[in-house]
Amino acid sequence: MLRPDRRALLAGLGAVLAAPRLARAATVRDGAGREVPIPGKVERIFPAGPPAAIQIYTLAPDLLLGWPRANRPEEREFLLPGVGDRPEIGRITGRGNSANLEAVLQLKPDLIIDSGSTGRTYVELAERVQSQTGIPYALLDGRFAQIPASYRILGQLTGRSERAETLARWCEETMATISGRIAAIPTEQRPSVYYARGPRGLETGLGGSINVETLSFLGARNVAAEQPGSGLAQVSLEQVLSWNPDVIVTIDLAFAESVRSDPNWAGVRAVREGRVHLSPKLPFGWVDFPPSVNRMIGLWWLAKLLYPAQFPEEIRPLARNFHILFYQVTPSEAQLDRVLAGRG
Amino acid sequence: MASPSLRGNLIALGLLGLAVIAAFALGRFPVSPGDILRSIWSWLTGTPSGLSQQIETVIWNIRGPRVLAAILCGAALAVAGAAFQGLFRNPLVSPDILGASSGAALGAVIGIYFSLGLLAIQLAAFAGGLVAVAAVYAVGSTIRRGDPVLVLVLTGVVVGSLLGAGIGLIKYWADPYNQLPAITFWLLGSLAGTARPDLVPLLGPVLIGTGVLLALRWRMNVMSLPEEEARALGLATGPLRIAIVAAATLVTAASVAAAGIIGWVGLVVPHLARFLVGPDFGRLLPTAAILGGGYLLAIDTLARTAAPVETPLGILTAVVGTPFFIWLLASARGGWS
Amino acid sequence: MSLSASALAYGYPAREIGRDIELALQAGEVMALLGPNGHGKTTLLKTMLGLLPARGGGLSLNGQALETLGAGARARALGYVPQAHAGTFAFSVAEMVLMGRTAHAGLFAAPSAHDRTVARAMLERLGIAALAERPYTEISGGERQLALVARALAQEPRYIILDEPTASLDFGNQGKVMAQIRRLAAEGLGVLFTTHDPNQALRYADRVMLLRDGRALASGPAAALLTQDNLVALYGSAVEIVRDADGRLAFLPG
Repeated sequence: MLRPDRRALLAGLGAVLAAPRLARAATVRDGAGREVPIPGKVERIFPAGPPAAIQIYTLAPDLLLGWPRANRPEEREFLLPGVGDRPEIGRITGRGNSANLEAVLQLKPDLIIDSGSTGRTYVELAERVQSQTGIPYALLDGRFAQIPASYRILGQLTGRSERAETLARWCEETMATISGRIAAIPTEQRPSVYYARGPRGLETGLGGSINVETLSFLGARNVAAEQPGSGLAQVSLEQVLSWNPDVIVTIDLAFAESVRSDPNWAGVRAVREGRVHLSPKLPFGWVDFPPSVNRMIGLWWLAKLLYPAQFPEEIRPLARNFHILFYQVTPSEAQLDRVLAGRG
Repeated sequence: MASPSLRGNLIALGLLGLAVIAAFALGRFPVSPGDILRSIWSWLTGTPSGLSQQIETVIWNIRGPRVLAAILCGAALAVAGAAFQGLFRNPLVSPDILGASSGAALGAVIGIYFSLGLLAIQLAAFAGGLVAVAAVYAVGSTIRRGDPVLVLVLTGVVVGSLLGAGIGLIKYWADPYNQLPAITFWLLGSLAGTARPDLVPLLGPVLIGTGVLLALRWRMNVMSLPEEEARALGLATGPLRIAIVAAATLVTAASVAAAGIIGWVGLVVPHLARFLVGPDFGRLLPTAAILGGGYLLAIDTLARTAAPVETPLGILTAVVGTPFFIWLLASARGGWS
Repeated sequence: MSLSASALAYGYPAREIGRDIELALQAGEVMALLGPNGHGKTTLLKTMLGLLPARGGGLSLNGQALETLGAGARARALGYVPQAHAGTFAFSVAEMVLMGRTAHAGLFAAPSAHDRTVARAMLERLGIAALAERPYTEISGGERQLALVARALAQEPRYIILDEPTASLDFGNQGKVMAQIRRLAAEGLGVLFTTHDPNQALRYADRVMLLRDGRALASGPAAALLTQDNLVALYGSAVEIVRDADGRLAFLPG
């Protein structure tokens, strides 16, 4: 971060620059409960991390300054031309800070948005950056269930409340429909799920980890939940055999392809019954990362995998509609094929 | 002189035997001792065991290779550690003093960063370890003045820290959702997911390197004397040093490539062995190999049974090794006996 | 049958320490290299052992040039006794002495029964057989020095070369070690030792070489060469002579 002697200079500079904006009384309560001043005009938004970037893109792509990590060509296909290829601008929070605050200032953003944890560390980081730079910094709660609320906050901050309401409603209806149908399913009929990462499929997410949030939302039993914790962990194949999950969801192509013919995995119920599923990941992951609104379509996909009887809808039209509404690009049939096949 | 060493070796073999039995008997998948005996019997006699395919898989494809890998890595690291302690005339030396572990780690981390296949990552680690030590040796030998051993150590420390910086840089660049967890798990050390094919790149280098070190163990006593004395006693210290360093590096790099960074085994086990059979390298090395294999096997069994998820080996070896070592220091009579 | 140097120049790659050294050590005689500290005694010793390459002139062992002999051949002829040091690992005295047999064993061989017999014999020859199982790191300085002599003897050499053998020993032990040296010569070995003490040279050596600034001031029979004038020239300071009733000499710093 900035050295103490520069901090004073920038604080002074920031106070001068920010004075006209901060003088306005209108504020919005952000996801961490902070009162964030609404900027007079918003034309440039800096996303502090990948989840924020995606959410801003879906709501107001023209305002997005750039991406924390440049999008790969296969991802850009599914995004608006001129927006998907905006430059890489680093990230301020999360693991691996790489954005230099001076570089951020040079981009002259009107607003900084971060989506993720609203814990003390991130609140203080937001306060610090806001007072150093004078740029309003809003924290959104990155939890899955908070997506509609985050849209509404974002809508107020950017003056795009109408579109924000549309997107929030879509999410709320989806979540309500899905959880409504699941509520009727008794616990014994809910499948156990093993979420497999890594080329050998031996990395998994513990109960509280953000990687398996949507699985928990769907009431599936994460076999690794018996181990307390909220991160990732390694397991031995023996343990997976012992758990004997009904369904395996993976994000790794190599694993998905090898597991069907691997004799060591043959005894697992999910493999025997052909319920090993590779999560789509274009342009952004449907299940895992980044943990943002991209997982909303993944909710339908997972629901269909776990409870095929209760979710007869075709995934294809759902995916197409999602792309049109949120990503604002109509995918071709060939592109949809690629997405649904789980290729990266 | 023969009797205490025989007793020491019997103790070591006994511990190894116990560790093997425990390793096969314990695990997250319920397998009864009866099942194991039936399976072994069926393997020996060629008759069917009547056990389910899953149990057979667990015994022969999951626990079996892992037990063998743990023994090989543990023995390799212990022998390399003992050899280096003699070569560098310092009982506080571990096999990574010349940068073999850091080099192997950098190789693996680069492999993970570029999303290479599993075998390629292992080979990259192996190559990284060898290249690092070769570089240390090459740089060290251009410096003609001073004790050759001290020059090697200093060069190793410096190169090792440079490699560590390289690892830090890759971690910084790595994608935090996908690559960074993989890198972190790898660096902490683990034998999870060890399958039969993984034994192939491990077996060759470990057997060759350990073989060379065991063959040279009688001369290691003399190599632990000051340089001039060793030469005056008739040893060609230069070539011998290269041979010992090469063999120890071979086994260390292979072990790190297979299991990640596992500290403590190379440092503590030689002392345990010394405690049992004395400092004579002729007796020390075989005992260290047996004890090292047993120790790492016991630790690995704990790593995979303590919780549903794996505990990294590097953490466990330190947590178990530290209090034990302190106790050893406190109760030793003095002198590294 | 001698270890001889002719017109020997010696030193380090970057620096010459001395030149024009003529020396011949015969079997059965004791020779002392006498001189002030820092004037090249130890460097010359190491060159004679083949541990440092000669910078000029020739070194030969029984007529054969020393550099043509391999480390093993040299070790079977020349036994080196360094100053007793602490040691890193607690080898037993017996194990330490056994290391002297290295040059007689193959590269991968364990010590043989014969090796152990020879080592045992050397311990007994020096009267320290009782220390055999004691850790080398726990015995006294004098006992360590004797152990190192035993190790050199286990090499079954023709010549034994000692560097300041009594440097770290107390008064009582000095006499013990030096008496052993005379016995070794009596048993047929050629003995060369360095010392800075003219009394030691006079009492225990047959011949002496006076070494100053790397050059030999004089070389010859000890009794003849160890005079007050020579010693004053050697040390560059005053030397007093004490003579007792039987005519025996002792030198004191002036």
